[in-house]
Amino acid sequence: MYGADVEQIAIQLNEDPQKLADFEARIARGEKIEPGDWMPAEYRRQLIRMISQHAHSEVVGMLPEGAWITKAPSLRRKLILLAKVQDEAGHGQYLYHAAETLGATREEMLDALLDGKAKYSSIFNYHTTTWADNGAIGWLVDGAAILNQTMLARCSYGPYSRAMVRICMEENFHRKQGQEMIILYSQGTPTQRAMVQDAITRWWWPTLMMFGPHDADSPNSGVLIRWGIKTRTNDELRQEFINQLVPDLQACGIVLPDPDLHYDEASGNWRTGPIDWDEFWAVLKGNGPANAERMAARRQAHADGQWVREAAAAYAAKNQMQVN
Amino acid sequence: MDTQWPRFMVFQQEGPDQPVVHNGTVHAPDAELAMLNARDVFVRRPEAVALWVVPADAIFTQTQEELAQAAETQLAAGPLASYYVFGKFSQQAQCRQVGQVQASSPLAAVHAAIATFADKQPLWWWVFPASAVLKNESTEAEPMFSAARYKTFKDQAEYPVVTMMRALRNQKANHKDTENTK
Amino acid sequence: MERAHQYALSGYLIALADDELVLGHRDSEWTGHAPILEEDIAFANLALDEIGHAKLWYELAADLLGEDKTTYPDRLVYFRDAAQFRNLQLVELPKGDWAYSTLRQYLFDAFEALRLEALSQSSYTPLADVAARIRTEELYHLRHSQAWVLRLGLGTQESGGRMQAALDALWPYAQALAAPLPGERDLHAAGIVPSSADLFERWSGEVTQFLAKSGLQANLQSPVSDFDRRTHSPHLPALIEDLQSVARLDPEATW
Repeated sequence: MYGADVEQIAIQLNEDPQKLADFEARIARGEKIEPGDWMPAEYRRQLIRMISQHAHSEVVGMLPEGAWITKAPSLRRKLILLAKVQDEAGHGQYLYHAAETLGATREEMLDALLDGKAKYSSIFNYHTTTWADNGAIGWLVDGAAILNQTMLARCSYGPYSRAMVRICMEENFHRKQGQEMIILYSQGTPTQRAMVQDAITRWWWPTLMMFGPHDADSPNSGVLIRWGIKTRTNDELRQEFINQLVPDLQACGIVLPDPDLHYDEASGNWRTGPIDWDEFWAVLKGNGPANAERMAARRQAHADGQWVREAAAAYAAKNQMQVN
Repeated sequence: MDTQWPRFMVFQQEGPDQPVVHNGTVHAPDAELAMLNARDVFVRRPEAVALWVVPADAIFTQTQEELAQAAETQLAAGPLASYYVFGKFSQQAQCRQVGQVQASSPLAAVHAAIATFADKQPLWWWVFPASAVLKNESTEAEPMFSAARYKTFKDQAEYPVVTMMRALRNQKANHKDTENTK
Repeated sequence: MERAHQYALSGYLIALADDELVLGHRDSEWTGHAPILEEDIAFANLALDEIGHAKLWYELAADLLGEDKTTYPDRLVYFRDAAQFRNLQLVELPKGDWAYSTLRQYLFDAFEALRLEALSQSSYTPLADVAARIRTEELYHLRHSQAWVLRLGLGTQESGGRMQAALDALWPYAQALAAPLPGERDLHAAGIVPSSADLFERWSGEVTQFLAKSGLQANLQSPVSDFDRRTHSPHLPALIEDLQSVARLDPEATW
């Protein structure tokens, strides 16, 4: 449907054809759409869905690494990890803000997450089983996220695009600290080398799944690309990631868990074996190794914090009354 | 019903000669905590000399598109008050400070801004009453903003991974050469 | 500085650093579990600052002992046994609820502010310089924790009740702030560090006043906990085991 012309789409979406045409012309000129501007309801809906999922991913994403802050094996690594997880909270904060400019409230978005109605990135439903997983998450998971976010920094919606610019700058610290850790440990003691190999083996495939289903199976891609929310497809981004990572990981002496992995001279691309999409859908639908644990942790924090949020609001209300 | 507290818009000045720029929101029960939260959220890296927080509902905005359509509407006028004026000047940019006007309503403030700052043509106007703003005291600046300066480990430049990868590849290449000459 | 003082001061600083490290550890446990996203970020900042301060004190101790300051702090943190830590019991107790963590932070921050003000006047310049830098950050901590004590103390019946319970539990442990740190008597006589007992006097006055303003009553008759920094609760060995669990997997490794 989204390859169709404007008038057909206007009819299908029940939008004013002239307004829709003007809107699409603005996007074609590279203009940013701002909160007060006219936008199709479907554009607003897709953005709220995407941005809130993205925000939830940052918030849930604090948990797998957060569990290692107290165990970090040097003061330097401890400060780095703490700052990194803190940045993730910050990114969640920026992203909820971007969704709020579209009329969604943080209360609603959090309710949707805690009720299990909203999705978040499947990658955070895997366990972090050793310290080296923090390096793998930094280099692989954050490296993959940066490709996606660099694209989104150019997206047509102003507040989302600006949040992404800020996030990308900080994510480079996340990726590089992870890469530094993996490089050093891959040349380190036998314990460290084994730890790194094991971590990459476990995180490699889930990271490739992070880019989402193949283009042919990605239901929202058409409209997202038409309206400049996404400018590249899942498969394009995934291929760029593979091409970046494979030679570097191999240079570290790390073996990737894919017997079919090979370099394709003709296209200049590294080709992987087939991705296990059954696993992807299972994890996304809530049956991953850590789904229940992650949601339980978020619900607990939310419930335990309720009296705090209420007390601060009550104090503010009392003070307001005294002022007036 | 859960509360995540009201929203406050956060504005930040990055250097003494820089304009004040909008950069996001924080949720807070009151202005003092909004100020503390703004510091914690937005000054994790050393890039501020001043912060402003303003209740989000005190901010009135008009895009070019809205101005074109809403030319006839008038908001109820109140007593004359001082308004801060902000504008977005390029597609990617955040709103930044333009100046101050006296007006009797938010929409009147936008019109006053258009008249007063005729040489500026922002894509998006923001106005809010000066009385709605909490700014940090200049004496608070050091405790609020200096902490980030020492946390150099948050800077990606601290991780020379490109150089490390190159060294690793060279080392492997040299190793191969020695193997071959054996 | 005299050799004896150098040695005494290193012990004093390691005790201060242990306080910061262990409190920072407890603060860091909130990351991802705080009542609202803004406070995840705020508490992570507290933890980053406290652990950063610990590192500065350990480094200064390394200088005094002629040790390598790039490696000595990690050796102290990761390869001492729990019994060798010299922190207060106040900071090692589990994080409890948000009232407990907030109130502990306030009690500690208020004392820190006074101690750092005094240390920044120390006759030993390297100590005075580090203290001045840390003090700037601690002033912000105090502002943050005061803001919260006031709001939770006066907010709702539940929050006031939780804060009072936290105060009743923590107050006896806080009395240990009055006890001298290792080496303090000689160092104080030499004008290098303040007397903890003197600081405690001022702290008691300020804190009880602010708590009262926040609707909280300190039990001035409450029994006093063990003063000795050599005595720990069972919570410390558990904390230290967690803290050292990865580093000790391979003591030869550079992490």
